[in-house]
Amino acid sequence: MAINSQHIVIIGGGPAGLEAASCLGTAGYRVTVLEKEKQTGGKLLIWDKLFPEFRNSDKVLNHLSNGFKTNPPQILTNAEVVSVIPENGQHRINLRDGQAFQADTVLITTGFKLYNAEKKEEYGYQIYENVITSFDLEKQLKTGNPIRIEAGLTPRRIAFIHCVGSRDIKSGNIYCSRTCCITGVKQAIEIKRRLSDAEVFNFYMDLRMFGQNFEELYIEAQQKWGVTFIRGRVSEIAENKDNSLQLKAEDTLSGRPIKMSFDLVVLLAGMVPEPRTVEIGKSAGLEFTSGNFLAGLDSHISQNETNTPGIFIAGTCREPLSVAETLTDARAATVKMISWLRENETSHKKPLIKRDND
Amino acid sequence: MGKLYDRLNQDIRFIEGLNGCLNCGVCTAICPAAEFYHYDPRVICATVQSKDEKMIEALIRSETIWYCGECMSCKTRCPRNNTPGFVIMALRKLSQELGYFTDSEKGRQQFAIKRAIGGNILRTGYCVNPDIVSPQMHPEQGPVWDWISMNTPEIMKKMGSNYKQAGVGGMRAIAPEVLEELDRIFEVTGCYTLFDTIEKHSKHKANELGIEISDEGIGNEYFMTVYTENNGSHNG
Repeated sequence: MAINSQHIVIIGGGPAGLEAASCLGTAGYRVTVLEKEKQTGGKLLIWDKLFPEFRNSDKVLNHLSNGFKTNPPQILTNAEVVSVIPENGQHRINLRDGQAFQADTVLITTGFKLYNAEKKEEYGYQIYENVITSFDLEKQLKTGNPIRIEAGLTPRRIAFIHCVGSRDIKSGNIYCSRTCCITGVKQAIEIKRRLSDAEVFNFYMDLRMFGQNFEELYIEAQQKWGVTFIRGRVSEIAENKDNSLQLKAEDTLSGRPIKMSFDLVVLLAGMVPEPRTVEIGKSAGLEFTSGNFLAGLDSHISQNETNTPGIFIAGTCREPLSVAETLTDARAATVKMISWLRENETSHKKPLIKRDND
Repeated sequence: MGKLYDRLNQDIRFIEGLNGCLNCGVCTAICPAAEFYHYDPRVICATVQSKDEKMIEALIRSETIWYCGECMSCKTRCPRNNTPGFVIMALRKLSQELGYFTDSEKGRQQFAIKRAIGGNILRTGYCVNPDIVSPQMHPEQGPVWDWISMNTPEIMKKMGSNYKQAGVGGMRAIAPEVLEELDRIFEVTGCYTLFDTIEKHSKHKANELGIEISDEGIGNEYFMTVYTENNGSHNG
């Protein structure tokens, strides 16, 4: 097939970056994906099963790599981008190791970072051994080994705490991370599947079941699996002498303060922007949302375009999204990129250079 | 007199203390008073936020607003930067001004606090000091307090305090010019007006109940009544 000489650089080889790369490759563009880690796939590599249908994350990863049958992109791993500088109507992408790339258009898909739950000191993450995050639990689930707490025992009572670092002025994050609610439901069911005798609780402020089959999964968690949902934000966790954890909340629906003991507490930590995304965004003169994510040009009609012409954004570097939404967002971005490239095709005919170590 | 909600909205503590509550209950979850009393700061915020005049009036006539210890733990937790403790302060002030505090047992204790603590500050410069805490009135201090109160000067000396003497250090005598300054502060900030209001409504209540009340001091039947009465329904 005819390959367009215009060059696209995608920063970040997670779900958004790979999905966009396959779309743009299929459309006949020359694409380079720069991935900072030694392997592409992003946080899907950590994840075991995906909500709401408990599909293995491998299935999505396979889909992403199968997209490269025609016109595969050049994928560079261990390629950490430090800046994107507009240069002669193009964009110069500088890497940590001194390499640089020239691109007609750039797509930033650098994803998110998990909120550092240590900041909510009252929950005792990294202080109490049996307080973990949803990421930690997912890693444990992925091993396929039985669920154990630190002492090697089987937990009998498990609590999920919602909105850790989300919807919380105290942690600096006013926004909702969106996917934690359904993650809490999904992981609660996974625990019940493996430990049918365990009592599993979710402490929440609101349950935001926005996606297809999310509400259904919430109902299933209650009806089929007997997961208990308590509407109340947890104020603090303390460790008992036997390393179990005492949790304080108000059951706001009955209007009673409660104290309960748990063997394991899972913090549903929210999404925050990657610090590197902020650096790259600043270097490219991009604007940011109030939550410090990369800002689209318009919140309704052009979420993937930015205030710097030729630079596009997709996925969780611009707002918290689910995997499904991330892939949709990436595809949407590619349409805008192709339009932009066509409009700008005749405006310059400079040779495209890849410069190493300059 | 205007609407109660509007009056609350003139209080800086209310303005800063409540900016849209999402009813998550974290204030109640951290609240020490909620552990012991029938007390729920979240519900108080919800009531006030409803702007329902009847419910706000019921609240400032109730026992509820007097359970808070003003420890401000709620301020440290609220994800919306509200401070239920500030809301309580504004509600208490309104209850004092309107005389509604005499409707509740815990509210009537405002009289005892005004006469005891309020009097202490103006007289000595201290809210509380060893001379003021008599063993008869404070059995919770335990039997050792009897002995301490009988040997206060010696004990204070041994503890290295500057007990009742001029100069610096703990338990020192507060200088007359400092007491005068306190007096001015009470005048300028409206504390005396509030004291007078508490006195007026308390005397009215005492007369209504047919209980003897004096013009000053704590040696009167009404003081002892509000100081000791306990209907036993505050917790449990």
